[in-house]
Amino acid sequence: MAKGECDEALDRLFEFIDHELPEDQLRRIGDHLKECPPCETEHRINEKIKNLVARAGGDVAPEALRDRILVTIQSARDDA
Amino acid sequence: MNDTTIDFETEALSYMDQLYAAALRMTRNGADAEDLVQETYAKAFKGQDKFTPGTNLKAWLYRIQTNAFINTYRKKQREPKRSDADTIEDWQLAAAAEHQSRGLSSAEDAALDMIGDIEIKDALMELSDEFRMAVYLSDVEGFAYKEIADIMDTPVGTVMSRLHRGRKLLREQLGDYAAARGITDKRPAAQETTEEVCRGKGRM
Repeated sequence: MAKGECDEALDRLFEFIDHELPEDQLRRIGDHLKECPPCETEHRINEKIKNLVARAGGDVAPEALRDRILVTIQSARDDA
Repeated sequence: MNDTTIDFETEALSYMDQLYAAALRMTRNGADAEDLVQETYAKAFKGQDKFTPGTNLKAWLYRIQTNAFINTYRKKQREPKRSDADTIEDWQLAAAAEHQSRGLSSAEDAALDMIGDIEIKDALMELSDEFRMAVYLSDVEGFAYKEIADIMDTPVGTVMSRLHRGRKLLREQLGDYAAARGITDKRPAAQETTEEVCRGKGRM
C-alpha cells in the first residue's frame, strides 16, 4: 500500500464522507478504503459519528410557537 | 396576495421544525430557541422581496437565523471555549491527530454503537458555536460546504476547518463518554491494535 494513498484518504476523509470531492477522487479513495483496513476503520468511525450527529435534530416546534409565527405573518401581510 | 407570496409562506413554514431544532442546538434552551425562530420568520417575511425565487429558501432562512443568533442571542450567553474557536494552533491539531490514531481501534468503533441521542446532544453542546453550527448544518441538515459558507458568511476553507476541528473534538468527547460508562478502555488494547496496523502503512 503506497503511503501517498493513505495520506490522501485520511486527509480527504471528511470531504469523502460529505460527498464533496470530484468523481475521480471519490472513486480513488473509495477503492483505497476497500483495500486498507486501518484507513477503512478510520472512515467507518467518522462516518458513524456523522450518522450519530444526524440524529441530533428532529425536535418539533411547540404549538405556541407555530401560533406566534402565524400572527407574525399576518401582521407582515397587513403591513404590505 | 399573489401565488408567489403564498408559495413563499407555505415553503418557509414547512421548515419550522427544522429551524426550531437548529435553534435549540444553537441557543441551548427552549425559550431562547422559540424567540430565535420567531425572529427568523419575522425577518424573513419582512425581507421576502430580498429572496430570489428559485434559489434555496431553506438555506436563506438558516442564514437569517444564524445571523440573528450571532447578533442577538449569543451576546447574552455564556460562551465556553468560544474565544479559542478559530485559533487552535496546528501543533495542537497534530497532537490531537496523534492521540486519535493511537486510540483508533475496533473498540472505539464498537463503543460508538452504544452512544445514545442524549450523549450526542450533550457532546455537541460542548463545542464552541462555530464548530457546533458547522457540524450541525453538515450532518443534520446535509448542507453542502458552499451552502454552509453562505449561511455562516465565511469562506469554504473556514467551513472545512471548523468541520475538521469540531468533529475531532466531538470524537474525543464521545470517546470520553464511552470510557466513563466503561464501554471501552482506550489504553492498552487499542494501542496495540493500531500500532500493528499502522506500522505496515508507514503512517505513524
